[in-house]
Amino acid sequence: MKKKSLKKAAVLAIAGAMAVTSLAACGGSDSGKDSEGGSSDSLTMAWWGNQVRNERTQQALDAYKEESGITVSGQFYQWGDYWSKMATSAAGKKMPDVIQMDMSYIQQYVDKGQLLDLTPYIEDGTLDTSNISEDIVNMGKVGDGIYGIAAGTSASCMFYNKTLLDELGITINDNMTLDEFIDISKQVYEETGYRSNLYHYGLYMDMYARANDIQASDKLGGDSADDYLPYFETLETGIKEGWQISPSQAADTDSVEEDLMVYGSNPDNMTWCTINGSAQLTAYQAAAPEGTEIALTTIPTTDPQKSNYVKPAMYFSVSADTANPEEAVKLLNYLTNSETAYDILLAERGVPASTAISEAIMDKLSPAEQENANFVNNVIAPNSSPMPPFPVEGSTEAQDLLRKLEEKVKYGEYTAQQAADEYFTEANKMLQGE
Amino acid sequence: MNKSSKFYRFINKEKNVGVIFCLPFIVGFLVFLIVPMGISLYYSFCDYDILSPPEFVGLKNYIEMFTQDEVFWHSVKATFYFALVSVPLRLIFALLVAMILVRPTKATGFYRAAYYLPSIIGGSVAVAILWKRMFAPDGVINSLLGLIGIDTNFAWLSDTRTAIWTLIILAIWQFGSSMLIFLSALKQIPKELYEAADVDGANKFTKFFKVTLPLLTPTIFFNLVMQIINGFLAFTQSLIITQGKPMDTTLFYAVYMYQQSFNFNQAGYASAMAWVMLLLIAVITFILFKTKRFWVYEQE
Repeated sequence: MKKKSLKKAAVLAIAGAMAVTSLAACGGSDSGKDSEGGSSDSLTMAWWGNQVRNERTQQALDAYKEESGITVSGQFYQWGDYWSKMATSAAGKKMPDVIQMDMSYIQQYVDKGQLLDLTPYIEDGTLDTSNISEDIVNMGKVGDGIYGIAAGTSASCMFYNKTLLDELGITINDNMTLDEFIDISKQVYEETGYRSNLYHYGLYMDMYARANDIQASDKLGGDSADDYLPYFETLETGIKEGWQISPSQAADTDSVEEDLMVYGSNPDNMTWCTINGSAQLTAYQAAAPEGTEIALTTIPTTDPQKSNYVKPAMYFSVSADTANPEEAVKLLNYLTNSETAYDILLAERGVPASTAISEAIMDKLSPAEQENANFVNNVIAPNSSPMPPFPVEGSTEAQDLLRKLEEKVKYGEYTAQQAADEYFTEANKMLQGE
Repeated sequence: MNKSSKFYRFINKEKNVGVIFCLPFIVGFLVFLIVPMGISLYYSFCDYDILSPPEFVGLKNYIEMFTQDEVFWHSVKATFYFALVSVPLRLIFALLVAMILVRPTKATGFYRAAYYLPSIIGGSVAVAILWKRMFAPDGVINSLLGLIGIDTNFAWLSDTRTAIWTLIILAIWQFGSSMLIFLSALKQIPKELYEAADVDGANKFTKFFKVTLPLLTPTIFFNLVMQIINGFLAFTQSLIITQGKPMDTTLFYAVYMYQQSFNFNQAGYASAMAWVMLLLIAVITFILFKTKRFWVYEQE
């Protein structure tokens, strides 16, 4: 008797389970139809960034919901994690509808057909570019299409601890040369113990290559490893003389909040300068200890005019797989042309691309954002060269190699010559897809 | 339900009920394990950058791994060092604590739970971040050293000699699961054996080495195999605490595999690495089993 009732229960359980799974299957197909039919009222958007950006973007998206009824769920990551996440979601055809894009990746994503060509939407006015200069619109041009709208303009720059330098009576002039920089670095190190961080996360190579006319994209420029020798020699000297920070004092990182210029306990594990994109000024200022003023200047090279360039701080792009391109482009338009949005976002992503917007918000900008706008428009722009070609696939790996080689030189494991040799041969292989 | 219906009779056959009850596992196993493994095996013979379709290239990934990729060897070295150092230390520690906790007192239950805790939370991201802060130049470790008179700003995580030891210590701290297994094994050792040893006048050490340890060898063997496998798959700690730095000394195999796949978009190469790892673990486990007859005491 008991056995029988057990069996009965089992049968019921299985039947129940089957019913549930078939229900779930129905649910799945229903929601699938929804998003394909274009009646869905939600979008996803992803960006990398910092605390300030995360908060402001979320607020701007909330405001968009009130305006249009579209819910946009935001996903944010740190730079490194962001690209891992995008690559995997792209593979699964699940990229967020609107994504923040960078000039170092846009070529690869376009080549793989992951991004939506915005040209038709610009033509039919869904995406209004009438207030954006042609130069800036063309920053998103890859091949024949426009695949991203610059969220703002920016430039690579050197940030420094102005409070500290003021105390020492040192004034930094824009467009300083490498020699002038080294003299200042030595002086600061000797007098305070703070080191500099010119060789930060492999970012200086871009500037170095431009100043020496050896920048290329699908291979390394220059004829031999000797073209890269001075790069590593300056680093080697910096470590020997003590003015360049090395990981034995504190580890380098890609996070703004943990950057050694604003994070650390004493001069021995901190720096007085770092390099990054100028739009990060707000974030650096926010991360800096109370009473420390962060300022920005051009990155010192042998020829600042050649190395400087105005670049898109980042783009907003639309995924080619989006179920709802029309709505995604509308969101893009909101993020480009809406005063409501920029009242919140201000210039955290760089000087807004739309001139109407940048004029309208200029007075509302924080001193840091005004300084960045002034820097890009009045310091970099008049004394710069054209933007470099977009990096190709393999450049991420080459960049990683560069960081490792810099690390080896910093530890004294490699001489400048060894690092230059390995960089020239190995990075070339990576860029040529071997 | 009609008792004579075909369905009823079908489902009431003993054989069928068994299969149906196993079905969730079988389906899960096939869909989430065997199929992905098959796909990964195929990718390992391909150039696959995740974004575009895979392209068959034969053994290229494997050849590159063994002949051209220096970083691969760094990661193998770091992984072996980590697994072979941290596992024995963790087992010794686990056994030590188990020996203490095997004696029943009022607080034993509390201590058992307390010592097991690190195993549950130790692999988490939160603890990894905590660890990173502890070993920072201005972290707790240096402050404690300062208290006992050693004033230092030593950067534990960026020195090539000490970085991997911070990870090893974290691994040793997660001794809980081995400890629980040792505990139950210790309890199963018959009391008569100790009584007999007492009669023969054996002291504590003799009792431990002649009675406890031999009877524990099957448990030690089991723990060793499981932990070595886990050790080779270590991932979170390295990824979060050191990112493989400094100079690849903490670049565990799984972390390098992750980098290849998701940072450099070379999923084909990463799949090949995964298969090499599988073979490696199989070989090591096989060797361990071969040594079994020399040191593991099996009761008849």
